[in-house]
Amino acid sequence: MSFLIICDLRQQEANICLATEKLKPLVQLSEKMADVEETLKRIEGHKGVIGTIIVNSEGLPIRTTLDNSTTSLYARLLRSFTTLARSAVRDVDPQNDLTFVRIRSKKQEILVAPENNYLLVVIQNPSE
Amino acid sequence: MPFSRSVLGSSKLSSQSTIESVNEEMEETFCRRDFSFSLPESLLPDEKRKKGSVKEQMTQVLLKGIKDILITETDTISLLDIPPTLVSVNADDADVIIERNKQYSEVCRNRGNNEKYVERAMQTLNGATKNKQIQNNLMLMVDTATIVSAFDMYAPPEQEVMVYSPEMKQTNDTETVVDSRRSPERSLSLTSSASTVISSCSLKDVETVGSSLNTQVDFELIMTSDKFQYSLLLMERTVLRNNFQSQLAAYRKLPLLEDPDRLVKPKEGEQSEAETSCSPALQCLWVFRCELSRGCRVSSMAWNKKNPDLLAVGYGETDYRNHEQGLVCCWSIKNPTWPERIINCDSAVTTVDFSSNSPGQLAVGMSDGSIAIHNVQSADNKSPFISSRECAKRHLGPVWQLRWNQQELSFTGEEKVESLYSVGADGRICKWFVINGGLDCTDLMKLKKMNNTLRKTEQNKPEKTAECVLSVLTPGLCFDFHPSDSNIYLTGTWEGNIHKCSCSNGHQFLETYRKHFCPVNCITWCPLHPDVFLSCSSDSTIQLWKQDCINPLLSFTSNQPVAEVRWSPKHATVFGAVNEERLEIWDLNSSFLDPVIVQPAAPGLKMTSLLFASLTDCVVVGDSDGQVTAYQLQNLHVGESSQGDVIQGLLHSASPKELQETLM
Repeated sequence: MSFLIICDLRQQEANICLATEKLKPLVQLSEKMADVEETLKRIEGHKGVIGTIIVNSEGLPIRTTLDNSTTSLYARLLRSFTTLARSAVRDVDPQNDLTFVRIRSKKQEILVAPENNYLLVVIQNPSE
Repeated sequence: MPFSRSVLGSSKLSSQSTIESVNEEMEETFCRRDFSFSLPESLLPDEKRKKGSVKEQMTQVLLKGIKDILITETDTISLLDIPPTLVSVNADDADVIIERNKQYSEVCRNRGNNEKYVERAMQTLNGATKNKQIQNNLMLMVDTATIVSAFDMYAPPEQEVMVYSPEMKQTNDTETVVDSRRSPERSLSLTSSASTVISSCSLKDVETVGSSLNTQVDFELIMTSDKFQYSLLLMERTVLRNNFQSQLAAYRKLPLLEDPDRLVKPKEGEQSEAETSCSPALQCLWVFRCELSRGCRVSSMAWNKKNPDLLAVGYGETDYRNHEQGLVCCWSIKNPTWPERIINCDSAVTTVDFSSNSPGQLAVGMSDGSIAIHNVQSADNKSPFISSRECAKRHLGPVWQLRWNQQELSFTGEEKVESLYSVGADGRICKWFVINGGLDCTDLMKLKKMNNTLRKTEQNKPEKTAECVLSVLTPGLCFDFHPSDSNIYLTGTWEGNIHKCSCSNGHQFLETYRKHFCPVNCITWCPLHPDVFLSCSSDSTIQLWKQDCINPLLSFTSNQPVAEVRWSPKHATVFGAVNEERLEIWDLNSSFLDPVIVQPAAPGLKMTSLLFASLTDCVVVGDSDGQVTAYQLQNLHVGESSQGDVIQGLLHSASPKELQETLM
């Protein structure tokens, strides 16, 4: 009788191990998400930062701290601007690529980190 | 019959074109059947005259008798004859035609190269044009334009061709008029980013069509990608650089740029100009502090050997009875608000040091006697690389200092093998090496306790004399390797003695320097002069020694027990000392009695740790609340001459009698 019980437990242990192995990537994913969220919140809390926008590849803003109209305006305008900037950089040297765009205006500074599938925009007022 | 009738009738039509007359003539021709039908047409008008007279007789006769009617056929009248172009093979002239066909095809074939045949234009008859008007739906004309740049045409092999989304077709239907402003966006491109610009032109359509589920999945995918984390890092550093621009420029010794949009306040400007004096001063640049480190005491700091912007700070209570969780944070100059790496340790951290050979390795010594080596390069690595917890010979008390040291192998003289050395509260100096994934150590030296009554003798007695108490080991608090000769090191003990030892001799001290009567907290060799070192102790004094003299050359007094003393890496006559109350910067050029700059600690805080920055003239000071403050040294008048000579000259002038005696 005792042998049977031991075998059962071992099987259950094996099942639990398998389950946790499958859960590991999910756990890691949620940890990563938490880290990323924390970093984003930190950036938004820095001195002078007016707002942050994340735009996906289709031009839809997927996360923003500003109101809808401003967000869609920035998303649309900055998409075309970064495309133009990138083509300018690559026209000069096709092996080069755009890594960061900063637009400094009288009242604020717009920082854009462009990538193939997203756009990270932060608007800061540095002279506060 | 109707056929033939129409032929005859048509001639009459030309003369009389009414339908009634045709009917009349039809009757008349029908009546004339008796007579020969093949009468030529020229005779017809005669017949017409005879019609009237003949007509009366006929009708009376017809009523009475049977008449015979003759019907004859006319010749076949051919109206249309188009001879066929196809000839049967069995026809008589088939051969001739075949022959002619062959000749013609030959001619056609040779026509290209043959000079007999020349292409020439001919005027042909133009058929008469016929105008026909129809009505049609209005066709809308649309203008489109694209700009293609060299970038668009350059297609690197690894980029995929983006499939145009079905939303594109919708845009063509709904938007018939193209805004000419948008034409630069519609560039033909193979990269996905540019092609999606086209669909973003009709943002309204996309919003109605796209589902919310897609954006959620997108969001997660984007957020967890490595590129996004890198972008976040870049963004945070840029935002902070904007905020800390003036401080970072001062740190890097760059000229300060005036922000043209900043509101210029003239009053403050005048005041600041009046206040800038030429006296040496410390200017606070920024403070490394975050939520995690609040309340922890800064116990040790170390700069990274390869990246001079990276600072490792160890936090922990130095009271080793209180086993709390320790913390090591790696801060970067570029981000004073949040550390780059956070490492949680099992117990309070007492010392940290970065390795030179592998710059990513950070050795951490803790108050429970264990040593862990962490790899700071990868952010995910939470567990230590190697730990000495399982080692049987590990330190029994807190590890007071760790140092990575490069030793030259004697036979080759070129290879530099780096080993980790530590000194602990159990009085042992150990050399550690990695075995089987763990650390193991060998004892270099055991710090034997020397009796205090021997302090006044100036002889270097070996400890194996009857008068010395040899049984107990005294805790070693600090040690430092000679900058050029890596075999020699100095170590300071709890008793207040400083021993000069050699790595090759594990039993005897080469020399003992006695002056302090309280624990020696820190020893440091001068980086610019080979034989000079400083020591500080809890008896509130700092002593300057030369390697060959038993007695210190200079001594400086402070008002509190001095926790740490460091030489400036650039100026040989400048060193800094920190005690609980204040930070002191001494300049041997100006004065031996007083520090040149004194920076009192903020109220309620005690300063605990000090480091000079290697490339700039800044110092970082740690305090008991977990804050590390960066100060810039200003207006320190230091001469330009070679540093080693400066020290030499100073030492000569400082205490002439004792010094010259011992030097000779």
